[in-house]
Order: sequence, then structure tokens, then C-alpha cells
Amino acid sequence: MNPLNIELGLGVLGLLLLLAEPFLSSSRKVLAYVAIAGLLVALLTLITSGGSMSVPATMQEFYIADALALFYKGVAIISTLAVIIISLEYAPVLNKFVAGDNARGKEAGLGEFVSLPLFVCVGMMVMASAKDLITIFVSLELVTVSFYVLVSFMRRSAMSLEAGVKYLILGALSTGLLVYGMAWVYGLTGQMSLDGIQKALVNWKGDNTPLLFGAALVLAGLGFKVAAVPFQIWVPDVYQGAPTPITAFLSVGSKAAGFAVLTRVVETFTAKGSVIGDQVIQLLLILAGATILVGNLSAIAQTNFKRLLGYSSIAHAGYLLLALACVHQHSLAIAPRNIVAFYLATYLPMTFLCFLVLSAAKAQGVGEDLKSLKGLGHKSPLLGLALTIALASLAGLPLTAGFMGKMFVIFAATYESNYLCLALAIIGAATGFYYYFKVILTIYSTPEVETEKIRLSVLSKVMLGVFVAAIIVIGVYPDAIQHVLVAAVK
Amino acid sequence: MPAPLFYFFSLLMLIFGALVVICRNPVASALSLVVSFVGLAALFISLDAYFIGTIQILVYAGAVMVLFLFIIMLLDIRAEAGRKPNMLAVVGGIALAVIFLVQLGSVLSKNEMGNKTVADVPINYQTAAQVQKLDTIKADLQNSTLPDAKLVGQTLFNRYPFQIQLIGCLLLVGTVGVVLLSKREVN
Repeated sequence: MNPLNIELGLGVLGLLLLLAEPFLSSSRKVLAYVAIAGLLVALLTLITSGGSMSVPATMQEFYIADALALFYKGVAIISTLAVIIISLEYAPVLNKFVAGDNARGKEAGLGEFVSLPLFVCVGMMVMASAKDLITIFVSLELVTVSFYVLVSFMRRSAMSLEAGVKYLILGALSTGLLVYGMAWVYGLTGQMSLDGIQKALVNWKGDNTPLLFGAALVLAGLGFKVAAVPFQIWVPDVYQGAPTPITAFLSVGSKAAGFAVLTRVVETFTAKGSVIGDQVIQLLLILAGATILVGNLSAIAQTNFKRLLGYSSIAHAGYLLLALACVHQHSLAIAPRNIVAFYLATYLPMTFLCFLVLSAAKAQGVGEDLKSLKGLGHKSPLLGLALTIALASLAGLPLTAGFMGKMFVIFAATYESNYLCLALAIIGAATGFYYYFKVILTIYSTPEVETEKIRLSVLSKVMLGVFVAAIIVIGVYPDAIQHVLVAAVK
Repeated sequence: MPAPLFYFFSLLMLIFGALVVICRNPVASALSLVVSFVGLAALFISLDAYFIGTIQILVYAGAVMVLFLFIIMLLDIRAEAGRKPNMLAVVGGIALAVIFLVQLGSVLSKNEMGNKTVADVPINYQTAAQVQKLDTIKADLQNSTLPDAKLVGQTLFNRYPFQIQLIGCLLLVGTVGVVLLSKREVN
């Protein structure tokens, strides 16, 4: 079947939900349940017909449905699903900051808050398949513009608005850099499709400085989207100010889609025989090293859990960039693009678990500071356990998914003999153990004041169970994900 | 385009572009941007890109900038009060701009593509006509006129219809966002 059918279906569902909202007489949570059902159907369709996807001839120029694309489409759908489930937990906070004082107890803005992520999902799914500059740009903008709205969604919260303005300005800057870089690459090679650009790079005669200039600008533009140092300055404030489900979405969905595009672009630039291959790898290694270092070291001093997760997200982007830069290694059976995909698959459940707990806590009156999470482990043992597993996995404790991801990256860097980056990666991992375990210590320490028990809805409990299981299963049996990545290639 | 005209329009664009930033009065800034756009449109026309030149004036100088002016006047934004500039930011900003300029200069100086002008690469209308499938475009090319609006339309809607629809989605999201963030009461 045509993979576009899924994207089309989700887009139409988003439109219908927007249209249905004004006429709805019952609770708006119905819209969220419809969206969840739609996403589940999309996920099932993707899984059952994954092997038999074929792109119509007119679209093959800019759209590809290979294993990598299908994998990232799956990641996009699962992220959106998780975001909508988390949004249901977060609905009281949303209502408080969207509606005025006289509209308490209603569900203001929930309809839009559920349908906009569906459009983001469509954008991310197209990003996963995009293989020409125009498609990459258009789908990236669909995602980014939707995020401008979602980040500043809580319009009566000064922090949310501040986050929105910061994201808007830096997002516009990054878009400018990206388009400028694309214009250079197109102007020099005369090609829009990544395949054509790759051919032009291999057959390039003469000076390669202009090409490098364009490539560097494209990498900088994409670096903003995946939060690579030095383009990470927006992350802490935006992560802290945005509604928690959207922070989770930015941290997982947006990053995964960004890396899907980055993987294809980097593979084009560093293809065998490309005149700018070596320099682009150098550039990536510098970005990766700096990102790992800055992300991990800045996370140490954080006292706000959301900010800490922001820096953690930067640090993880560093590992992903490092994996992407290891294009030469042949000793390891698994290609860089698959290491990145695997790492993101492990990153998804652990990050969403943290944000689910944060959302539920915030909605029930607990703050986002580390201090206010004290005693969570005693009050809600199951929630505490889930958070502990997620944090241990983020740190990279053996037998959890996070360990396998970090291990592949470190192996790849070793085979590539990138010893400086390897050292930075290990320092970063060690630092990670410190600040993630500090949070675990906090949730099991005795609180100064009595706190309420945090309750979760049935849907959230199911999501919690599935993600905890995923962390452990991938940690013990990583082949599960690798089969998805490798089997679909055959 | 004769060289003096090129320099005239380039200077016009650059001077008024700088004025957009320098002017303290937002209305003056917006009007400077309009003039800058007119200079840019003239440069497009000098490159035989008549369609883009016209669109530049109609859409940017006409519609978008008038909208800007409307908003500025509607919100009654006053001239910005003279603030003391942050010296560190000013010096850093200038340094960054200079670095970028040097970089750009070094890239451009090594590139020979700029040595060719439009006159050096004349359009071969008859060969171009042979590969065209659409009759109207073919006829235009055979008469040695450049059907640029038709070519743009054909490329947009024959080659990139999918991307156009994605942009449609993007505009919808933008509209929803504006309504949501600016509505007085959300219920």
C-alpha cells in the first residue's frame, strides 16, 4: 500500500477533530480518545503492511519508504500517542492557564491541544520519508510552526509565553540558516534531491569551499532542531516553560524526526568519494563532543526536574551525533543510521516515563522542582519504581535499554578510533550516573511536608507498564529492535 | 540591466535595509522595508525573473507590508525609547557579523560562478521548447518569450502538489494558533 495513506488519514483526523470540537456537547476528552484510537489504527496499519509499502512513481523523486523511514514513522506515531495520553493527565493545568478565572472546571483548549499534535505527527512522518530539499524543508516547517503554537499554548502563563517567544525567534533563525544553506547547496550542485546532490558531490571538480559553506549552514540549521551545542541555548527555557506534554514531544518526537533528516543529509554529504566528506565528519565530531560535554556538565547543577531533562536531552543528542559521525567503521555489523535509530528507540520510553510522572505530579499540585518530588517513592511505590527504572536507563545502567544504546555508540567510536570523543562520551556517561541517581535518591528520601499520593488514569497506567516493559526487554534482548531495523531492509 | 542602474537599485536596497534596523520609529522602519523590497524587485527583473519581481512588489511590498503597517498602527506602537545599548552585545554582534562577512567573502572570491552574467548564458528557447509537454508553454518558448509565470505554476502544481498540500496544513495550523492565542475568552 501507499505509505501516504497513513499520513493522509491522520491529517484528515486532525481536521475532523478541529471541526467537531465546537459541536461537541459532551466532555472534550472524547476527542482525545478518538485521536488515540486513530493513532492506534495508524500504528497497526504501519506494522501490518510495513513490508509491502510502495511509493507511487510520481513521488519517488522526493519520497522514500525504506526501513529507516518506516521506523521513524512508527516513532512519530508512538510519540504522538504518548503525548496525547500525557495531555489527558495534564488537562487541569492546561485549563487553568488557557481559560480565564471565570471558566474554571471546563476543558478550555483541549480540542486544539489534541488535534495539533496530529498535524505535527503528519509532518514528522513526512520528514522520515523526505529525500529532497523542498520536502525536508516543508515538512520541517509544518512541525516547527505547530510547535510554536503548542509551546506557547498556556497563554496565561508568563513562562509559557516566554518559552514561545524564545522558540519562535530561535526557530526562525535556524530556519533562515537552513534555507540559506540549502540555497547554496542547490545553487552549486543544481540538484534538489539528495541522490542528485550526492552524485554532484562525488563528481565535484575544483574548489570545495562553497560546498562546505552550504553544508555547514545546513548542519547548523538542523543542529538547532536536534539541540546540538552551540545551537542548544533555547532548550532549557523552552523545555521549562512549555506545557509538559509538549516538552516531552519536543524532546522525543521532534528530536527523532530531526535525526531522521540529519541521517539522510549526513549520509549524502559523507557518501563514499564525496569531496566534503572528511570535513563534514570533523564538523560532526566537534559538535558531538561539545554537545556531550555541555549537556552533561550543565545538568549537574540543575534543581528543576524539567530543566534537568532538558540538559539530559542535549547530552543524548551528543551521543546520537557521535554515532552519526562514525561512518567509516566496518568492523561493527550495525550501520551508523541503525545505531541512531536504535538509540532513539531506547530514548523514547525512558523520556516519556519521566514526563508522564512530571505531568501527573503537576496536575495534582506537586511542583516541578526536585525538592517537591521528595518522598514520591514512598507515597506511590509503583510510580516511584517506574521513574527509577526510567532514570537508571537514562543513565545507562546495564540491563536497561539506555545501556545498550550507549554501548553501541561507544563501540562505534572505538572502532572509528575517535579517542577524544570516546573519552568525552565516557566522562559524560559517568556524569550522567551522578545527576540521574541524585533524582532517584530524592524520590526515595523522606519529605519535609506530607504530600498527596499521585493518581494515574487507566490509560496512563497502561502506557507506564508498556514503556517500563520496553525498557527492560530492549535492555535484555536488544535484537528485538534490531530485527525491525534490519529485517525490513531485506 | 546597465551597470549604473544595478548599483542604484542595490544601494537603494542596502541603505533602506539598514534603515529598517536603525530607525526608532516602527512606521518608518516598515516603510523603509517597502522601499528595500522595491529595490530587490528591480534586481529580480534585471535577472529576467519578471514574475518573481512582480510578485515581490504585489505580495511583499503590497500585501505583507501593508498588513505590518496596519498592525503597527492598530496596536499604536510608539517609537522605541532610547535605551543604553549593552556594549558587550554590540561588540559581540559586530564581531560575529564581521566573521560571517569575511567567511562569505572568502567563499565568494574563490567561486568563478559570479564571473558569468546573464548575457553570457542566453536562453536557448527552441531547445527548451522541445522538452516542454504543455502546449501553451511550448508556444511561448517557440515565440522566444519566457513564460515564467506559467513555468512556475506548472512546476508547483505538477511536480510539487504534495508539498503544496503540506503548506496548506501549515497555514491551517498557523491560523488555529493565532485564533487560540489571541481570542479573549477560550471556553
